Formats: sequence, C-alpha cells, structure tokens
Amino acid sequence: MRNETRRLVYNIQALSDLSNEIASSKDFKQQIRSVLHVIMGTFLAHKGAIYLYENESAAGSLTPVAKQGFGRLPGKHRVRPDSALLALEGPLRLQDDGTQDDVHPIIGKFRDKGVDTVVPLRYRDKFNGLLTLSEKFTGEPYSVDDMELIKAVGNQIAITLHNHTLFMELSEKLEENRKLYEEMRVIYHETVQAFAAAIDAKDPYTRDHSHRVARYVVAIARELGWSENDVEGLYLAGLLHDVGKIVISDAILKKQRSLNKAEIMEIKRHPSLSYDILSKINFPWRDLVQTVKHHHERPDGKGYPDHMDDHNLSIGARILSLADAFDAMTTSRPYRKKMDLKAAIEELVRYNHLQFDPQIITAFCHALEKEIKGELPEPNIIPQLNVDFDPAVITTMLETIRLELAEPFELGGGMRTRTAAG
Amino acid sequence: LKTFKVVSQLVDDVVVLSPEGYLNNIIGEELNRECRSTLRNGRKNIVLDFDRLEIINSIGISILLGILSDIKEVQGTICFSNMPKLIGDTFDMLGLKEHMCVFPSTEDAIEHIKAGQV
Repeated sequence: MRNETRRLVYNIQALSDLSNEIASSKDFKQQIRSVLHVIMGTFLAHKGAIYLYENESAAGSLTPVAKQGFGRLPGKHRVRPDSALLALEGPLRLQDDGTQDDVHPIIGKFRDKGVDTVVPLRYRDKFNGLLTLSEKFTGEPYSVDDMELIKAVGNQIAITLHNHTLFMELSEKLEENRKLYEEMRVIYHETVQAFAAAIDAKDPYTRDHSHRVARYVVAIARELGWSENDVEGLYLAGLLHDVGKIVISDAILKKQRSLNKAEIMEIKRHPSLSYDILSKINFPWRDLVQTVKHHHERPDGKGYPDHMDDHNLSIGARILSLADAFDAMTTSRPYRKKMDLKAAIEELVRYNHLQFDPQIITAFCHALEKEIKGELPEPNIIPQLNVDFDPAVITTMLETIRLELAEPFELGGGMRTRTAAG
Repeated sequence: LKTFKVVSQLVDDVVVLSPEGYLNNIIGEELNRECRSTLRNGRKNIVLDFDRLEIINSIGISILLGILSDIKEVQGTICFSNMPKLIGDTFDMLGLKEHMCVFPSTEDAIEHIKAGQV
C-alpha cells in the first residue's frame, strides 16, 4: 500500500474515532478531552487545547475546556463583540512578528506559549470556540491538506461545544424552574398551614387538630406505600378537612354543654361546607376535595353527608376518618377528658369494619409500632401525642392487633351503630 | 471478555511498561499515568514493550506523543521494543519512527539504555 493511501486510511480511521467520541455517552469533560486527543493524534501535534466561547450579556468569554501538553495556558478571557477573533473564518498560523496581535490580545499570549495554529470553531456560522495546536511533533509544518482537514474537524468540535452549551442552558433553566417550584410549594404549604391554624383557632380545644391529623394521615399513607406525591395531597386534605367549620357559628363550636339536635345537624354540615369551599380551588390532586367531604363517612354506611359504605368509600377518606377520630380521642374536649393511648387504640379496634377500615387500622398500628421501635427516620405520630404510654405494653398490643386483624372478620353485636369519636 | 492493562516492572534502573490490547484512551491514560509516576519517582529511563499490543488509534498516538514530550523535557530516555509490524508501519507512515528508538527485544532496549548509547 502506498504511503499516501495508508495516510488516507489513517485519517479516515481518525475521523471515525472522532465520530465515536462525539457520539459517546461520556460526560462533556471526558468527551472533549478525547476529541482533543483524536485531533492531536491525527495531526501529530504534541500540545493542544480547546476553548469554549460563551456569549454573555455585554461581552463574551473564552474558557479552556480541554488541554494537553501546554503548561499554563491563558485562562478565561473576555472577548468584545467587535473583536476580529470572532470573525476568523479558517485556521490561522501564528506569526512571530506580532502583526496578528490586533486580532485579539490572546493571540500574543498563545504565541508565547508555543501555539502554532489557532482554528476558529463555528456552528452555523457562529463563533463558538477555538482550537489551538502546537507545531507537529516531527517538526514538519502543517500541509495544505492538513489545514483543510483541521477545518473540517473543527466543524465537528463546534457541534460538540454547541450541544454542551445547549445542555448547560437547559440545565440552568431546569434548575431555575425547580427552585421556583420549590419556593412556590413552600409558600403554598405555609399558606395552607396558616389557614388550617386559623380554623383550629376558632375553638381552643381543637388547636393544632388539623396539623396533627395531617401528620397522622402521612404516617398511614406512607405505611400503605403511597407515592410521596399522593402522600402530599392527603397531607393537605388533613390540613384542610375542617375548613367548613369556619362557617359554623362560634356559639356552637365553643359550646361547653352537650349539643341539641339542631346544633348537631349544624355541626354535621362541616364536611359539605369544606367541600363547597375547596371545590373552588383547582388542586393538583383530583381526589383531595372528595376525600375531605367524606372524612365522616363509615364503612357500615352510617356516616355523613352522603351515607357511603364499604363499596364506594375511597382509601383516602378512610385514612382521614381514622386520623381525625384518633386525634379527637387523644385530646380533651369541654365535655370529656382525653383517652390514654391504649384506650384509643382499643377503641379503633372496637369499631373495626364499622367506623374504620381494618386495612387502615393495621397500617396505623404498624406505623406506630415502627415509630416506637425507632425504625422510621421521620416519625409522624409519636411527636404529636400528648399522652403517656408504656412502649413495651403498646408494642405488644399493636403486634397482637395486627395479627388479629389479619384473620377473617364477622360483624356482630349492637355496637355497630356507636361512634368512637371524630 | 477481553481485559486491557499496563504491566510495569523495574529492571535495574529501567522501568519496562507493557500495555496490552488496544492502545486507546483507556489504556493510553493508564500508560500515561504510569509514565508520569515513573518520572515523578526520579526514574528517567523507560522501555515501552509493545509485545502484547495489538492495535493503536489516534488517541493512543496522541498520548504517546505526550509521553515522548514529557521524557524529552526531563532529558530522559525512552525506547520501544517488540513492536508489531502493523503498529510499526503506522509510526513509519506518520513519520514518527525516525524520532523513536525501536529495538527487536526488551533486553536489547535495556542494554542500549544501560550502555548510554541513546
């Protein structure tokens, strides 16, 4: 094979190496370094560097993104928009006489560091970087053919730089959007929390009730394996479930004695009122408003306002119902003292299948058991409890309940119409 | 699955490095690291034994040029041995062979360095 033919084959192989590197899944730093090696290996330059041009507001800048052999090359350099450097169309062999220094001050610095040739990198006719090469290792000058090929290869590098710039711009935008979303989310949560606190403040006996209920539903939903997005939706339902009470008169909410029939009817309006208020808001969670409306429904059909039953009651509403009742049982009211933890759990079990869903009771017991054993990184139930309990006794009780609830259930007795709390 | 590596051994004061397989960016970078480490340790005499090298690409050539420049800068000596014909022809075609000391065997290369003939 003639030497020219062998050289042609080598160059074609090098172009293939270049394509492979550009198409590789390596990160940009590795990719551009390999690209530089391919060029240096093809043209036998023993030193080389690639600069990325970024066009900022008033002026652009050149930043080295890969270099081989050169010790200390010029670092980041500002480039004015009217610089002749940006208008370079093809490779420029650097002259020792300083006549090219008016192109850009960086040219003189390159020459001092042993750069032989600079190649402008252009994507769609727009300057986006610079390739610098030392003289050849063999001491021969670059041929006309070399220069043509370097120019063609420069176009390939320009595409790589363009893709990188595009990727960085998109990443920045994505990060900005993510931060904006996070900030809005925090403001949104704080607003809802403030709103919930305002509802609870209507009655000193229910202070922080919504907050506690929200934390309990989080514990149960996580135990049931809900996605964090769904958990967040249920958390908000927990915070807002009593929003309808804002319409109920203080005289009824704060009444120290037992309520008459009309007053009970008025109180029972609050889930529907919550629904009416919240349905005006376009929540990202489609079921949130329905969940709030049905937090006083029961599997046995004796709840309100829609008298739903075990067949059509959503899991979210069942979770919220248990959390709401549990908090009511473990906090004092003007007409009764709070229950201790053991009694409250027994009450949940007593109304299994009637007021509460066994799957939800089991999940609640399991979550509580894990919190007592310190198995959860973020406990949601125990920090809310204002009752004393013996961890060993409660743990044994919870384990037993979980085993019992796993067995088939038969409805029986007259307690089916009773209500635990809520 | 074929693995690639660089075997290093010290013979008297000469470090013999033997890259295996395909001298591309992976093996090339490893070879470069070994050479730099050798120079950092104050040893300036290296033999690159290409007996187990099968193929080299443009990235491998670039890395070799870097190694040759590094050795030249510290006024060290680098020799090549057991060069496969295909790779030798590539160096020849690129005009690099006249800038390299190539020996048929590693022993010859070591002897040459020890005799101070390079």
